[in-house]
Amino acid sequence: MMRFTDLKREAGFVFGHRQIKLTLLVVFLLSTVSLWSGYAEMQEQQATIERLLEKDQIEREAVITHQSNYGMVAYYAFHLTYAPPSPLAFAAVGERDVFPWKHRIRMLALEGQIYESDTDNPELAFLGRFDFAFVTSVLLPLFIILLLYDLKAKEREARRFELLNVTARNAHAIWSARALVTLVPLALVTLIPFVFFGLVNGASLPSILTVCAIVIGNIALWSGIVLSIGAAKRFANFSATHLASIMLGVWIVTTVVVPVTAHTLINAVVETPEGGDIVLTQREAVNSAWDKPVEATWRAFIATHPQWADYTTFNPGRDSSFNWKWYYAFQQVGDQAASELSQGYQAATLQKDTIASYVALLSPSLLSQRLLSSAANTDVKAMVGYENDVRAFHQALRKFYYYHLFKAPEFSQENFEALPQFTPNTKTSHENRTGKEE
Amino acid sequence: MIINVAKTICADQWRYWLRTKVAATVLMLGAILTLAALVVNAFHIEEAAHAREHLQTEAEARFKAQPDKHPHRMVHYGHYVFRAPTPLSVIEPGVDTYTGKAIFLEGHRQNSAMFAQQRQSAGLTRFSSLTPSFLALVLAPLFIILIGYGSVSREREAGTLTLLLSQGTSRWQLILGKLLALISASSLFLLPLLLACLYVAFSSESPLVVLLFCLSYAVYFLLWATVVTACSALFEKSSVSFIVFIVIWMAVCVLLPRLGSSVATNAAPSIGKLEADFKVEEKLRSLGDGHDVNDPAFKKLKEDLLAKYNVDSVDDLPVNFRGVVAQYSEGRQAKVLNEFAEKRMGEELEQAYIARQFGWLSPTVAVRAISTILAGTSLETHHRFLKEAEALRLEFVQGLNKVHVEKLDYTLDMNRNASEEAADKAVVGADNWALLSEFSFKPEAENTRISNALIYFLQQFFWVCISALLLKAAVRRLNP
Repeated sequence: MMRFTDLKREAGFVFGHRQIKLTLLVVFLLSTVSLWSGYAEMQEQQATIERLLEKDQIEREAVITHQSNYGMVAYYAFHLTYAPPSPLAFAAVGERDVFPWKHRIRMLALEGQIYESDTDNPELAFLGRFDFAFVTSVLLPLFIILLLYDLKAKEREARRFELLNVTARNAHAIWSARALVTLVPLALVTLIPFVFFGLVNGASLPSILTVCAIVIGNIALWSGIVLSIGAAKRFANFSATHLASIMLGVWIVTTVVVPVTAHTLINAVVETPEGGDIVLTQREAVNSAWDKPVEATWRAFIATHPQWADYTTFNPGRDSSFNWKWYYAFQQVGDQAASELSQGYQAATLQKDTIASYVALLSPSLLSQRLLSSAANTDVKAMVGYENDVRAFHQALRKFYYYHLFKAPEFSQENFEALPQFTPNTKTSHENRTGKEE
Repeated sequence: MIINVAKTICADQWRYWLRTKVAATVLMLGAILTLAALVVNAFHIEEAAHAREHLQTEAEARFKAQPDKHPHRMVHYGHYVFRAPTPLSVIEPGVDTYTGKAIFLEGHRQNSAMFAQQRQSAGLTRFSSLTPSFLALVLAPLFIILIGYGSVSREREAGTLTLLLSQGTSRWQLILGKLLALISASSLFLLPLLLACLYVAFSSESPLVVLLFCLSYAVYFLLWATVVTACSALFEKSSVSFIVFIVIWMAVCVLLPRLGSSVATNAAPSIGKLEADFKVEEKLRSLGDGHDVNDPAFKKLKEDLLAKYNVDSVDDLPVNFRGVVAQYSEGRQAKVLNEFAEKRMGEELEQAYIARQFGWLSPTVAVRAISTILAGTSLETHHRFLKEAEALRLEFVQGLNKVHVEKLDYTLDMNRNASEEAADKAVVGADNWALLSEFSFKPEAENTRISNALIYFLQQFFWVCISALLLKAAVRRLNP
C-alpha cells in the first residue's frame, strides 16, 4: 500500500529536480497558449457569424422590398446558414478548418452551392493547428516519455536502485508513488488552464468533465505504455536512453505510421465519387433543361412532387415563354440528377470516418484527438450534420416558394413573414457526445 | 591524413550502429517509410494528373458542343477549370490537399475552389501525412537524433575518448569522422528523395529549381547531423544530450510551425469570403444589375451610346443594347470582384509571411517554405491558379457578351420571352463557342519561384552559420 508519507517524500524528491519543474512549466505554457489561441479564434468566428447575420438580414429585406414577384425574390435572396462553434470548440478545432461552417444559399440547385467552401488560409491549415487537442494528444505523450523514461534507470545509474528497493517498506509502492507525484502535477498543469477557459466560455460542467476524463485517460494510457516498457524483463539490461528510444518508437508507430497507413488503405478501399462529377452532372441537367421540351422537366419534377401536378400549366399571356415555376422545377430536377452521386459522396465521407474510428483503437493519440473533437462537436459527423441541416433548410425554402409559385397568391410583403429561417443546431457538446472514455 | 583518420572513425561508428539493434531498426524504418511515401504519392499524383487533364478536356469539349443558344445562357452555363499537380508535388504536395482543385467559372460570380482532399481524410492526416516532405522535414530529424545522440558522448562514457585523443587523433578528425558517419546514415533517408528529384528533373521541371530543391533538403539534413554531432560532444552525458535533443526536436519540428500558424491567424485575421461577398454586393448595388437595361445606373451609358451612333432610340442602334449593358456591367463588376479578391489574397499572403518568419526560429519552417515555393505547391501558386482562372472567366464571358452585342439582333432579343418560337429565334450559332481558350495551369516561371524563396534561403543560411559555430565550439571544448 502506498502511504501518505511515501507520497510526501517522493513529492519532495521529484520537485527537487529542476528538470521536472521546467517540464511542468513548459506543459502549462503550451496548454495555456493553445487554449488562448483557440479561444481567440472561436470568439472571432462567433463575431463573424453575428456580423454576417446582421448583413444577411438587411440584404434580404432589401431584396424583398425591391422585387415584385416570388420568382425574383427567390432568385436574389440569399440565406445565411452557419454552424456556431460549440462552447468547447476552442479546445478542439477539429474539422472546422477543413469543412465549411458557413454557407449562403438560395433557391437555385443546391448541389451547385453546397460544395463552395469559405475555409481559411490553406497555408495555415497546412502548417497545422495548435489547439488543446493537439497538445494533449500528440505532445503530451512525448512529455510523459521524457518524465518517466528513466524512472528506474536513473536510480540504477546512480547506483541507488538496490538501496531504495531494500530500504523501502514496499518496493513496489516507491515506484508507484514516484510515478504518481509526477503524473498528477502533469495532469493538473494541463487541465487547470482548460477548466478555466471552459468556464469562461460557458461550457457545461459535464462536458468539461468529459474532456478532463479523456485527457486523464490519455495520460494514464501513455503512462501505462511507458512504465510497462520500463519494467519489461526483456529490456532490463537496456540503458535509460535506449529505453526512451523504444518508447519514442512506439509513439512514432502509433501517432504517425498507423494513421498514415490507414489513410492510404482507406482511400484505396472506400470508393468515393469524384466531387467534380457531382457538380458537372448537376450543371448539365440544369442547363440542358432550357433546350429540352418543357414536359421533360415537368415529368421529372412531378415524379417527386405529385401535389403540384395540376399546377404546371402557365398563362403565356402573363408569363410569356419564361416562367419561374418551370425555372425552379428544373433546378430541382438538376439536384435530383446529381443526388445519387452526392449521397454516395457523403456516405463515403462518413464511411471513411467510421473506419478511422476503428483505426483509432490502434493509436492512442488518434483516439484521444477523435474523442476530443467529438466532445467539442467538431468531428466529421458534426460537420456532415451541418451539411444536412443546410439541405433540410433548403428543402424548407423550396416548400415555401413552391407553394407561392404554384398556388400563386397575390404578391405581398407580409407573406414573407412565413419565410423559413435557418436555426443552427445548438446542441451542447454533452448531449451530442457519441464517444466514450477509453 | 585528416580524412583517413576521420574515415576510420566513421567506419567504426557504422560498425557500432549495425551491431546495436536500435540504430539498425531506425535506419530501416526510415528508409522503408520514405520509399513507401514516394511510391504511394507518385501513383497518386500520376492518377490525379490524368484525371484532371481528362476532366479539363471534357469540360472544354462540352462547352464547345453546346447547341445554338442565346449567348447569355452560355454565360450562365459556365465552364470548369481543373488544376493539374506540378511535377515536384510528388515530394511536396504542400497546400494542394487543402485547396480545392476545381473551380466553376460563370458570369457575374467568382466561385471558390471546390473539393479539397483533406475533407475526405477523416482527420487521419491532421498531424502527419505519408508525404516524402513530411517524413524528411519532421520525422527524419528525430531519426537522426535517435541514432546520433550518443555518437561522441558514448566514447566519453566508455572511456575510449581519452584513448582516441591520446593516440594522436585530433579533435577535428574525431568530430569530422562522427559527422561523416551521421551524414552517411541520414543520406539513407535522403537518397530516395534525390532519386525522385532526378526523375522529376528529366520530366518537365526546370533543372535549376530541382537542384535548389534537392540542395535545401540536403542542407537541412546536414544541419541536423551537425547539430546532433556537436551537441553530443558538448554535453557530458548521453542521457542529457538525449533529453535536450528531444526537446529541440519537439520545439523546432512540431511546435514552432504550428505556433506560427496560430500567431498568424490571431495577429492578422482576414475576413472570410462570405463577408467579403457582402462588401462586394454593397459596392455593386450602386453599379446596377446587368440583366436590366432600364436600371437607372445605365442611363449615362445609353445616352453616350445614342450620341455616338447619332440615333434617337436603342432600337435604331447598330449594336444590341442589352449586350452592351451586359458587357459593360460585367467589366465593372469584375473590377470590383478583383479588387476584393486581390485584397483577400494580400491578407492571406500577409498571414503566410508572419507564419514563415518563424523560419528564423526553426529551420523546418524555413525549408518547408522553400520546398513549397519551389515545388509550386505554395500559397503563391494557388493564388496564381485563382488569378488565371479569373482571367479565363472574364475572357470567355466578355467574349460571349461581344457576340451578344454584335451578332444578336436587339428586337429579336427583346422579344425572346414572347413565345417559344421567339425564344428559338433569339440565338446565335454554336460555332461561336469556339472562343473558349484552352486552360492548362503552369506554376510560376523558375526565376519567380526562386526569387520568392530567396528570403527563406537566407533563413536556411542563417541556420547553417549557427550550426557551423556550434560545431566549432564543440571541437574547441571537446575534452575527455
